[in-house]
Amino acid sequence: MSTRPPTLREKRRYLLVTIDPPGTEINQKDLYYTISDATTQLWGDVVAALIMPAVVASEGQFVIIRCLRGTEHELATVLSTISLCRDSRIALRMVAASGTIDSLRDRMRRVKIDREEICLRDCTFDKKLYQISQCNGQKVDVIEKGFKNTNRLFLTKEDLEEL
Amino acid sequence: MKITDACVYPYPCGDSSVRRMALEAKSLGFERLVANDIPPGEFYGIEIYTGLLIRDTAVRDIITRIKRERNNHAVVSVHAGDNGFNRAVISTKGVHILRGIQSSDKYAFDHVVARMAADHRVAVDIDLSPLISGRGITRQRAMHRYRDILVLEQRFEFPIVISSHARSILEMRAVREIAGICSLVGMDTPDIEKSFLGVDTVTAPEETAVKVI
Repeated sequence: MSTRPPTLREKRRYLLVTIDPPGTEINQKDLYYTISDATTQLWGDVVAALIMPAVVASEGQFVIIRCLRGTEHELATVLSTISLCRDSRIALRMVAASGTIDSLRDRMRRVKIDREEICLRDCTFDKKLYQISQCNGQKVDVIEKGFKNTNRLFLTKEDLEEL
Repeated sequence: MKITDACVYPYPCGDSSVRRMALEAKSLGFERLVANDIPPGEFYGIEIYTGLLIRDTAVRDIITRIKRERNNHAVVSVHAGDNGFNRAVISTKGVHILRGIQSSDKYAFDHVVARMAADHRVAVDIDLSPLISGRGITRQRAMHRYRDILVLEQRFEFPIVISSHARSILEMRAVREIAGICSLVGMDTPDIEKSFLGVDTVTAPEETAVKVI
């Protein structure tokens, strides 16, 4: 079977999305199923068939999602309704939309994330002991020490300095 | 006039500190947050208003609570109940927002309550959490109620506020994303812009109808 000439192919758009919180390990396939389920639940099978979402690339914190041209707004709305992937709490933040993956890769390089190296040092907040799991500028993510409660807290450097 | 998320729950109710929420709100395009049970302030250029949510209380107790908190300049919200309760709450001086209409009974918010809300400048809250994290019948019911509220809003022009009810920065959404979500319930761009400024409308000092010269 020969490939179709460009003029007869479906026109597609690609969305560049970041996954919050940074450092979350998400399997590309799990993310695809999450997006697909969310699309069907929000728009139904008919519109989901028109949008045809697919996760085409995943590089660190960035993900490139494909859809049919003209359905970007619908897909963006779907992405904003996603708060859970498998058992991980996430938020998908849309950065840009483009007609080619190449331009999104350029954009990815330009969106510089000044993330400091993961500093696994201890800190106290609200009289409890936490371990810093992520630092990014003013943002500090901490995880409570111990085996019982390992909830992640989202703080700033000022919050830690204050206490 | 500032773009406001009318209800967030920072630490200890949620898992993000108020500073972190302010930082996130700035990157998401907001200018002000109403944070429940947090003292007012300003962090990273984001204004923080104190929010006070009263729920499961008799009207008499609500009046007492509002009188007690009058000096705190808090944005006072009351969780909706049945029709009679909503009428009484809306006519109470000092109440700014009526919340939780989507989870109250079918006749809780009718045309009479809508007219009273317009007369007393009490806003009705559009809570985005059932639209974002709800699935199936929960989301469908919320969407249906919001559409119904918007029909009454077109007729009586009472204020509307939009809130994420976020307990974490992961539940906060950008202004553009919220516009997309609100379009699901039939809100167009001018409606959404007006709703983002709803907190200003309800907290502004009342102008006298007749000016005495």
